[in-house]
Amino acid sequence: MFELLGAGIVGMLQVKYLVPLFIGTLIGVVGGALPGITITMTVIVVLPFTFGLEPLQGLACMIGVYVGGETGGLITSCLLGIPGKPSAVATTFDGFPMARNGEPGRALWLGIWASILGGLLGAVVLVAATGPLAQLALKFGPWEYFALFVLALSMVAGLVESSLIKGLLSGALGCVVTVLGNDPVMGQPRLALGISWLEGGIPFLPVLIGVFAFSQIMGELERFSDKTQAAVNAAINLAVSHVAVLWEIVSRPFLLLWSTFIGLVIGVLPAIGGSAANMLAYDQAKKFSSRPEKFGSGIPEGIIASEASNNANVAGSLVTIMAFGIPGDAVTAVMLGALTIHGIQSGPLFISQNATLAYGMFAAYILAHPLVLILLLFGVRWVLRIVIVPKSILFPVVLVLCVVGAYALGNSMATVYVLLVSGLFGYLMVKFGYPLAPFILGVILGDQIEINLVRSLMTDSNLWLFVTRPISALLLAMAAASIVLSLWQHRRMQKKSAVAAGAADF
Amino acid sequence: MKLSKDGWSGLAVAAASLFLFALTLGLKDNPLVPIGPGYYPRIVLAITAAFALALVVSDFLSEKSAKVREPLNYLLVVEMFALFGLYVGALPYLGFRISTFLYVAASNALLDLPKSAKGWGRVLLVAAITTVVVYYVFERYLTVLMPRGRWTDF
Repeated sequence: MFELLGAGIVGMLQVKYLVPLFIGTLIGVVGGALPGITITMTVIVVLPFTFGLEPLQGLACMIGVYVGGETGGLITSCLLGIPGKPSAVATTFDGFPMARNGEPGRALWLGIWASILGGLLGAVVLVAATGPLAQLALKFGPWEYFALFVLALSMVAGLVESSLIKGLLSGALGCVVTVLGNDPVMGQPRLALGISWLEGGIPFLPVLIGVFAFSQIMGELERFSDKTQAAVNAAINLAVSHVAVLWEIVSRPFLLLWSTFIGLVIGVLPAIGGSAANMLAYDQAKKFSSRPEKFGSGIPEGIIASEASNNANVAGSLVTIMAFGIPGDAVTAVMLGALTIHGIQSGPLFISQNATLAYGMFAAYILAHPLVLILLLFGVRWVLRIVIVPKSILFPVVLVLCVVGAYALGNSMATVYVLLVSGLFGYLMVKFGYPLAPFILGVILGDQIEINLVRSLMTDSNLWLFVTRPISALLLAMAAASIVLSLWQHRRMQKKSAVAAGAADF
Repeated sequence: MKLSKDGWSGLAVAAASLFLFALTLGLKDNPLVPIGPGYYPRIVLAITAAFALALVVSDFLSEKSAKVREPLNYLLVVEMFALFGLYVGALPYLGFRISTFLYVAASNALLDLPKSAKGWGRVLLVAAITTVVVYYVFERYLTVLMPRGRWTDF
């Protein structure tokens, strides 16, 4: 195995593979950094250019886009407060406050180094453990998926500081969005409310773009003034000690390893993706932290957890597609398409029948990380030009890109209308104190929860199977425990606040 | 005891959920699947309504304290939303290039009102560059066919 990996890395260092990998990584970093431009869209754009290349050249390019995009997405999350991609949402929670507190360089490089380390750790583990992880995922049926998605939602609802009820309600509202328009199982119309552009259902990407872009930009506009602009521009100082930043990460080995593990596991499981991985890792980091109340105020743990997990998630998704032929997310679905175009059948026999290609893909994934690092070490200022543009120019341009990004998803105005309504709804949610993260996770997972519920009932109508199948029962028990734990944490925090207020009175 | 905005928002969500729940009762079952298209929405909407009502009750029972609110520029937010709404509404009629140019120029001027001819020149230049770059990158290189205007055919 290690001989094959070594040969793969040596092969990938040839100019004919290294150039497409580098170009893909560069495009990925830029695409990931641009709000409203997702990695999926970037990789779809790259796809036609790979048809004329050798399979490994094309796949190296797409892997570069994937890894570069995952890392590039944190740039706007940290510095603008707008996630460049869904899997950087949790990075925003602490990255942006840290940058706003006058440490944009620290926020940015904590994210970049955590991405690199998380990604490389993910690669090492997955190259060695592909088989056993695949076996575990194979044991999952619709009951387990249903339970896992419920667990993810309940855990994220626990992220909310102010009110657990609002967190749960926000997650439920996200699921409500997915029931509007049509039934994802049979495609039957339902609850379209007579609105034509709702009839095909509501895709989650324009909702995500709208909710985050508008709540952020409109929130900034509430306090908009020339003085604010000057302060923001002056704060963009990215000077940072890389040794200190690296030490901040490696001095928290459990956080790094656990977040990487979460990213890997979520990546291996189909159809969940980095958007859930970073949320779960963030939630876990908060739950294990000795200072959970500080999360959201700009602490390194939140950035490390989110970024280590989402890059490790890429490794997990790659193994799933290579071992089972099942796309872990939309990006790997495009890769699956590319493999098929080249006449390569992915699945259990993929690695044994295409060892050179498979280990070449592993090598491309590993080498993409140092390439990202080199690109950002020398080019981060160039990428950051979007940040130092005056907000009076930046905000309209970002909103135009959001429109273009939403429109390009289906070449239809329907997704732009979804973007507009979502933006308004997201802004109102923030004004009424509802957390956005559970809502977004509900929108992403809602369809999958329904699909797996229906599949499980189609297989066996006995509802008890959800609690009698061991893995499903364990996951549901964990979901219940997560809510109980959150309740306990909220009560403890309220008591602490009450004690602090009482002490202050004296 | 008066309701705060939590309570009112909970009431609004509960009402909307129950309205949608009522609509699901009219959905016809599909013979190909054991549960109809209304089964899952009913579960989700019932849970949503229950959480919303729990929020109302929690708000009703909680003690309210007067909060000092910082003055916020809601007028600018409303104006930006209105401009964006006009932009989205104009896209199918004026096309991407004209409506984007007008939107970027108008919102840029709204956020940073030019005080001289040079300032207006900058606003128009930014709008033109944004429109041209976004259009060419997406339409020519990324093969995204941007909306054409029904009125302008441009």
